[in-house]
Amino acid sequence: MNSQPYLSLVVFAVVAAVFPLVPLILARLWFYFFAPLKPGESKNATYECGLVSEGDARIQFKAHYYLYAIVFLIFDVETIFLLPFATAFLNLSVGAVLAMLVFVLLLVEGLVWAWSKGYLEWD
Amino acid sequence: MSVLSDSLIEDLKKQGVLVTSIEALYNWGRSNSVWPLQFGLACCAIEMIAASMARFDLSRFGSEVFRPSPRQADLMIVSGTVTKKMAPQVVRLFNQMPDPKYVIAMGACAISGGPFKQGYNVLKGVDRFIPVDIYIPGCPPRPEALLHGLMELQKKIRAQKLTGENRAKYFDAAQPGEYPIPSFGEHDLEPSKNAALWSPAQVARKD
Amino acid sequence: METPENILARLQAAFPSAKIELLPNGCPSQPPSLLLDPAFACEIATFLKNDAALRLDHATNVTGVDWPKEGYIEAVYHLFSMEKKHGPLIIRLRTANRDTAVVLPSLTPVWRSADLQEREIFDLFGIKFEGHPDLRRILMWDGFKDHPMRKDYVAPDDFEYEPTAHDDVLERAQQHFSKNA
Repeated sequence: MNSQPYLSLVVFAVVAAVFPLVPLILARLWFYFFAPLKPGESKNATYECGLVSEGDARIQFKAHYYLYAIVFLIFDVETIFLLPFATAFLNLSVGAVLAMLVFVLLLVEGLVWAWSKGYLEWD
Repeated sequence: MSVLSDSLIEDLKKQGVLVTSIEALYNWGRSNSVWPLQFGLACCAIEMIAASMARFDLSRFGSEVFRPSPRQADLMIVSGTVTKKMAPQVVRLFNQMPDPKYVIAMGACAISGGPFKQGYNVLKGVDRFIPVDIYIPGCPPRPEALLHGLMELQKKIRAQKLTGENRAKYFDAAQPGEYPIPSFGEHDLEPSKNAALWSPAQVARKD
Repeated sequence: METPENILARLQAAFPSAKIELLPNGCPSQPPSLLLDPAFACEIATFLKNDAALRLDHATNVTGVDWPKEGYIEAVYHLFSMEKKHGPLIIRLRTANRDTAVVLPSLTPVWRSADLQEREIFDLFGIKFEGHPDLRRILMWDGFKDHPMRKDYVAPDDFEYEPTAHDDVLERAQQHFSKNA
């Protein structure tokens, strides 16, 4: 084993290849012996909601949405920080609370800025 | 199972030896993992939902996994009134399901149009467009009736043949994989029924 | 709420050139309804909505009635007042005939709740509401040509399997079988 440090990696690679290939080969054999493929127009269709898709999927989207999404993301991440902050609140030192308040205030400042610029209005 | 007789298999089972065939194994697996397509058309869907919940517990039969995509579903439970406007969508969803696939017509409306049979907007039975395996009468059928229908479907699946003359239609390359989707006409669906699939039952008339 | 007779008198005073009629309802417990002149329907509707004593701000039910013998189609509006908590006042509009002149003014601009119901009447009775913001079929598909709630609507001939037929259905089934015999 010592002389072949990469042997375990090779074994792993072989298992990783065989594991998905065996079901695929079995499925192929099953198709060959028993169940014929029956593709068709609606079976091969991209959409599967039952309705015929109309129009083009490539539509123009407002660039405005980008800022909207960024603001959402920032506050989404903020909640991740706020939750442990809230659970550990009583055991925190004054310095930690102040540091957290600065963090929250920075985000609030960002919110006020976005609000005053009118980025929160969707129109 | 032509080599061993059924009684011999039973005897072997008593001695702790399990003998099976690919066919029996395959059907056993399929019949215990019938995943329905998750969609409801009318009030029967409420009973279908009730059947999938804890009290009636459809998952005892391996059917609790309602799939939101037709590509992953084995069973279409047509639960409710199929309107003429909805019929093409139902047929298209059925076409998009991979074989082997089964259809349960649940309730009077899906079977024949039910109380709305003479309505201008209701399809007189979903079997005019897709092949139905199990019909469950009722308006709506109780969840027990749906469970019974599912058990009958399982029996049907366990009895299906993989090869030979009377094999299941999914294993026959000559049988269609898709059924024609009706289009909206000026007065009715066009065609108003799949003539290759459905013909009126002969009613014995006394006159 | 004031009686329909009173309302009629006030409407006639406010719209002297409009032809407004009081139609009795056959049922004694129901109030009579007002048959409005389609040409003035929008103005009268706005009047009913804004009048200080009536304030009929809510159209709960809009429906159609086909009168093949009399030769017209009716749109019937049931009006209530949320503010005054009274109602209903029933108003009717009549088309000139059943095939060529089936245009009525839409009251959707006055009562928003009439939107879908007027679409339904358009779909099932074939009344064209002028001024409706989005007049499309709502129950049947867009390419459908008939109006199924009209009394002379003939359903497509799919009576090939009627195990418990009676009355009209039996007749249609017999027609179907004699045609295809």
